[in-house]
Order: sequence, then structure tokens, then C-alpha cells
Amino acid sequence: MAELTYREAVAAGIAQELARDESVVFFGEDVAKAGGVFKTTVGLYDRFGPKRVRDCPISEQAILGAAMGAAMTGLKPIAEIMFSDFLAVCWDIVANQIAKTRYMTNGQISLPLVIRTANGAGSRFGAQHSQSVENWAMAVPGLKVVAPAFPADVKGLLAAAVRDPDPVLFFEQKSLYSMKGEVPDGEHCDELGKARVLREGKDCTIVALAAMVHRALGAAAILESEHGIAATVVDLRSLVPLDTQTVLAEVARTGRLITVEENPRLCGWGAELASIVAQECFWDLEGPIVRVTTPHVPLASADLLEDHQVPSVDRVVRAVREALS
Amino acid sequence: MDVIMPQLGETVAEGTVLKWYKQVGDAVRADETLFDVETDKVSMEIPAPAAGVLTEIVVPEGVTAKVGARLAVIRAAGEEAAPSAGPSAPAPTAAAQASAGQASTTQASAAPAKSGAAPASPARGSAAAAQASTAPAAAVPLRARDGRGGPPLSPVVRRLCAELELDPGLISGTGPGGRITREDVLLYAESRRPAASAPAAARPPAADAQTRPLTLVRRRTAEHMARAWATVPHVMQAVEVNFAAIGALRRAHGPGWQAKEGFPLTFLPFIARAVCLALGKFPELNSVFEGDALRLNSRINLGIAVDLQREGLVVPVVKDAQARSLAELARAIDDLSSRARAGRLVPDDMSEGTYTLTNNGAFGTVITAPIVNAPQVAILSIDAIRKKPVVVEAAAGDGIAIAPVGMLVQSFDHRAVDGACSASFLTELKSILETRAWQDELRLEGSD
Repeated sequence: MAELTYREAVAAGIAQELARDESVVFFGEDVAKAGGVFKTTVGLYDRFGPKRVRDCPISEQAILGAAMGAAMTGLKPIAEIMFSDFLAVCWDIVANQIAKTRYMTNGQISLPLVIRTANGAGSRFGAQHSQSVENWAMAVPGLKVVAPAFPADVKGLLAAAVRDPDPVLFFEQKSLYSMKGEVPDGEHCDELGKARVLREGKDCTIVALAAMVHRALGAAAILESEHGIAATVVDLRSLVPLDTQTVLAEVARTGRLITVEENPRLCGWGAELASIVAQECFWDLEGPIVRVTTPHVPLASADLLEDHQVPSVDRVVRAVREALS
Repeated sequence: MDVIMPQLGETVAEGTVLKWYKQVGDAVRADETLFDVETDKVSMEIPAPAAGVLTEIVVPEGVTAKVGARLAVIRAAGEEAAPSAGPSAPAPTAAAQASAGQASTTQASAAPAKSGAAPASPARGSAAAAQASTAPAAAVPLRARDGRGGPPLSPVVRRLCAELELDPGLISGTGPGGRITREDVLLYAESRRPAASAPAAARPPAADAQTRPLTLVRRRTAEHMARAWATVPHVMQAVEVNFAAIGALRRAHGPGWQAKEGFPLTFLPFIARAVCLALGKFPELNSVFEGDALRLNSRINLGIAVDLQREGLVVPVVKDAQARSLAELARAIDDLSSRARAGRLVPDDMSEGTYTLTNNGAFGTVITAPIVNAPQVAILSIDAIRKKPVVVEAAAGDGIAIAPVGMLVQSFDHRAVDGACSASFLTELKSILETRAWQDELRLEGSD
């Protein structure tokens, strides 16, 4: 086991796959010589050279158009879109081309590509650079969607994404880049579509994603020590495929579901989970399903305001206590 | 004409239909008993409002409806057969508010009547009957209310009661607001299985005669105590009270009281009354600690811990003790403890307590530091009252007399109040007990 930061785990994951498979290539804006604006890809250019690790112009459409073309013709590209907000610029390529190619070609063409991108708030980058847009991707059939919360999962799920024969959107949480965690040594490849139960408790099930997983864990600790409430915490890890079996089993056990979502309220993944639970798990529910989300507003740049908008540990604690009262 | 839910009492807003004496198609005479209805205060037989034929039962047995809601339709003699208004009948209660108990009442109850499809959940570790959305579900309809005015039943509780054929009205709710939880239902179901509990208690495994499996009550007590102990920072304070004045009154009025009331006049009602008076001045001790606020209760619902001969503890509650006289408290306490020992308490008897008394003195202890009955904020132990020498101060010189003396010991939640508050409460309590004109309170009872 080694202790790596989340950002080091990104580089380690890409390096592992570049080393393992010659057809893997990696490109994006400032990812090669500069090592990435978030310093997530330091060292890759030096180790693998300009044919495997490339800098691109500032054109998201060019980057993903190239990724799609590369994937169609036998390569396994990892493409970076610097800020997940900018997926909107190239969304036609993602949603209308990449997502649908396998289907529209009747399986003749598959696109084993990974689009990695820096997602989420907490860095005071303002409304256009802080969004959590994983739900945009979840809503388009034909895309897989991953959002790791821990360095070990960054490496393991990135490897699994690269090896997946279909397009995967890999959402890294920019505010987590500095967090440290244990990462297994040697080759590490995890499994897409499997959630992880991080903590067991009989009173309620809190499901969270990415940065909100850590808030959920913080809240669970306070709930236990100060309020005698034992919460189960589930790290969803993937939105597509969605590990419904784990969530349904845990909700059936505790009778209560609380989601913690960094996205704005409307149509967040929590709403989808709530609807699945309400349909398939209704007769195990002790009380209403509760979602803790950012309100449905653009995010502020000011630190105090941004922190107020995104779900805090405190807000999660209050929501759980209210739900159980 | 419509048969509607009658007004059953001034403060009663809804009732549960218990039994229909007629079926659809039967002839009905005016004033003939048509159905039984139950509220949490009373059960009544309701007569038919007119003669005719019962053409529709809108609210089936076991379902709760608001006063004024349409329950059935009688085609009175001379009326034409009117088309039934159909499922809109529960309309007054079927407001689209998912949170409103009434809406879910009628809609949830309508569902099983239509098909057994309601419990559609895949069997997943929960009671195996989940998949059997056939005869069992239809025979035992899902009940959305417990029939005694409690909060609406959650989906899991409804399902379990239907599957296990339990009457939620008989299940004690330990959730917030007296809500029945899934655990309550499962514990209740387990307690009703005679085969399971009897051997466990009566026949420990021969190999190890020391092992005693926990009973239901014991297990629940254990959880409650552990939780209270883990979350509440306990502080114990005591005052020593001279019960001479009250003792004298008991000797004087006791026999008359016993003859009239049928039970003895003990120290407990005096202490209960004094506690109510003292809590009036120290409302923080009659509150609930909620993390960032103290919720003060306007009512004093006094829990009286009753020991069930080492079968465990139960704490029935005297509601609105602040409004009761000494005699009323005495009667209420006697009634609750008798019923507790006879196993005849109902769930309402044990809910909504705000402060608890525990009478350890009955067993002879000098001092006891009880565990706070969370989420209450304080608890008072009444330890043994026995004759002791006490100092009597007089202008002519101090002397020694013999008086009945006992400790009153309060454990309190130090998050909610500090020692000064608790101590002041205790000295106030002591002062009331030692100096109040108790004879006036007894005399007010009129007789004896």
C-alpha cells in the first residue's frame, strides 16, 4: 500500500494503462508538457513521450472529435476536458455521436474511450467552473458515468474505465485533488457499477457521491457520537451502471434513504435513486426519502456563499435528525 | 342517502370503522345498528339514519375517516337508484398532499381492496410473504392508521402488520410522537409467539445453567439504557427531606382514605404533586434536549417507573399532572401501577412522558443515581424514608427529634441544565414537601 494524493492517483492510473496497453493514448489541454492545470498528469509526458501524451488546442470539440476518431480506428484514447462545465461546448459530440455510435452501427463500431474531467465546487472558481454535471451524462443513454471519492478508487476505476469497451465519463472532483489515501501497490483495476458500503448502521442509509461521500461520513460520525443515530453510508462510485442492488438492500435494512448530492436539486441522481427506491422498496420504508442537495441556483464565487450552497456536514446531520424525528 | 361519520365528541376529528353489521344489498331498518366506530376515546354503535337498502360501503372495516366523511350509501325507500359517485367518495380526505395522513389513509386502503397488488416489493430478506400478493394480502387489508389516533403507519409497518396479521392498535410505538416503528412490530410479533419465548425463559440449556436469554422487555430496556447512558452526561444531586409533616397527615387521614379509595395513601402522590409545583418554577427540567435547542414542554406528563417483579421496568405516564390535585394524582398513580402489574397498560399509557419518578425506596435503598429517561432531561429517585434523628433548631436551644427522613435524588442531563438549576429545583422541592399546607389539599377533597 502506498499513500497517494487523489491527483497522484490520476497520473498513476493513466500511467498504469499507458504502460500496459500500447493502444492507449492520452491528450487534452496542457496535459503533456505542463502536467495538467491541476497537476494531475505530471510526469506522463516525460515517461511516455509526445506520441502517447499530447497537448491539444483550446477546442473541446476538436479534443473529443479526435478522441472519437481515434477510438473508431483502433486506439483507446483518454481525453481530458479541463473543466466539466466545458462539456457543454462539445456535448453534441458526446451525446449525439459518441453515446450512440455503437447502437447506430449495430455494434460494428465501439468506442473504448474515456473522457476525464474536473468536476464540482469548493475551489471558488465561480458559476461556470464549479458545476457538478455528472447528471448531464447520466441522462444520456449509451454513456457510463463514474465519480470516485478516494484515491484508490481514482486509480482503480480509471483503469477499469480504460479497459471498458464503451465510452466512460470519468468525473474527478477538483476539491479532492489534494486529499490523501491508501492506494494498493502494483496493478490496480476495480469494477465499474459497484457501490461500496463504507459504514454500517441500522437507523438510516445515506447515499453520496464524490466529495459528498466525505461529508456523509463526517455527518455519520456526529450522528453516532452526539445523537445516538447509527447511519449506513454508501459511496455510489458509479452512476451508470448504477448499483441498485446495494442501495436497495441497504435501504430495505434501515428503512430510510437520505441522498447527499453536490449537484443542483432538479434531476440530480438522487431523484433517480429516490424513484427507484420508492418503486421497488416502498414497503420497507419507515419514512419519506430525503435529498440533501445544492439548491437549484448557479454557484457563487464568494467562499462563504459557495460553502453555504453546497451541502455541508451540518446540513446533512440536521436533515437526518429531522427525518428520524 | 349518505351515511356519514358522526361527530363522536367535541375534540374528535376522525374515527375508525370497526365492523359493518350489514352487507351491500341488505335491507336496513331506520335506527337499526349499522356499524361500530372507534376513536381513541370511545367505541360506539351507530344506527342507520334511514330505512332502505345498503347500496354501497365506501369505507371498509379497519379504515379511519374524518368526521363528516361519507362511509356508505343507503337507498332510502322511495329514492331512485342513484349512480354511485365511485372512488371520488374519499374525495374530502384524498387531498393530493402525500404527507397528509388522511389522503394516504383512504388511498392506501383502497389499493388492497382492488387487488392484492399493493406489496409489490421483491422478497429481499424481509418477511417471505412479500411475493404472495394474493390471498393473504386480500384477506388482511393494509391498514394505514393504528385506529387510536396515532400518526399514520409507515409503509413497512403497514406491510408487516398485513403480512403477520397483527392489529397495529395493539402495538406500542416507540418512535417519535408515539409512532410505531418496524422494530416495534417485529418485537411485538416475536412476543406473541408462545413457543419461542416460553422455553427460552423456562428451560436454559442443560449444559450451562447460568445462561439466561434476554426477554423482550429486558432487551429493550438494555438498548434504551445504553443509549441514554452513552449520549447523556449524567450528574447526580440529592436532598434529604424531612417527611414529618406528611407522615403525620398520612397517619391522620390514611385509614379514612383507604376506606374511601380502596388503596393506601402513600408518600408518592405528595412527592408527585410537589414535583409538579417545583417543575412549574424550573421548566428546563421538564424539557427535551434537541442538540441546538431546549424544547420546553407546557404539559407535565409524569412517568412513574413500575418494577415488574424482575421482569423489567415499565414507565406508565400520568398525563397533565400539573393540572391534577393531590388526590387525582394518587388515584392516577394507583391505577397505572395496578394496571402495569396486571399487564393491562395500553400504548397511550406509556407515551409522551416529560419527567420520570422512580421509587427505589420501596426496596430500601438510601440513595440511587438513576439513568435519565432520554429524551427527557431529568429523573428523580425516591429512596427509602426511614426514621432518623434530626436536629430541631429552636430559640431555646437545638434539640434532637425523630423524624421520617428520605433522600430525593435527581439525575440530570448536564448538556441541558447546570448544577445550580438542578440544585435549586431540589431545594424548592424539599421546601414544598416540608412546609406546604398539605392538610388543605387533603381537606379540599371534601370527604374524610
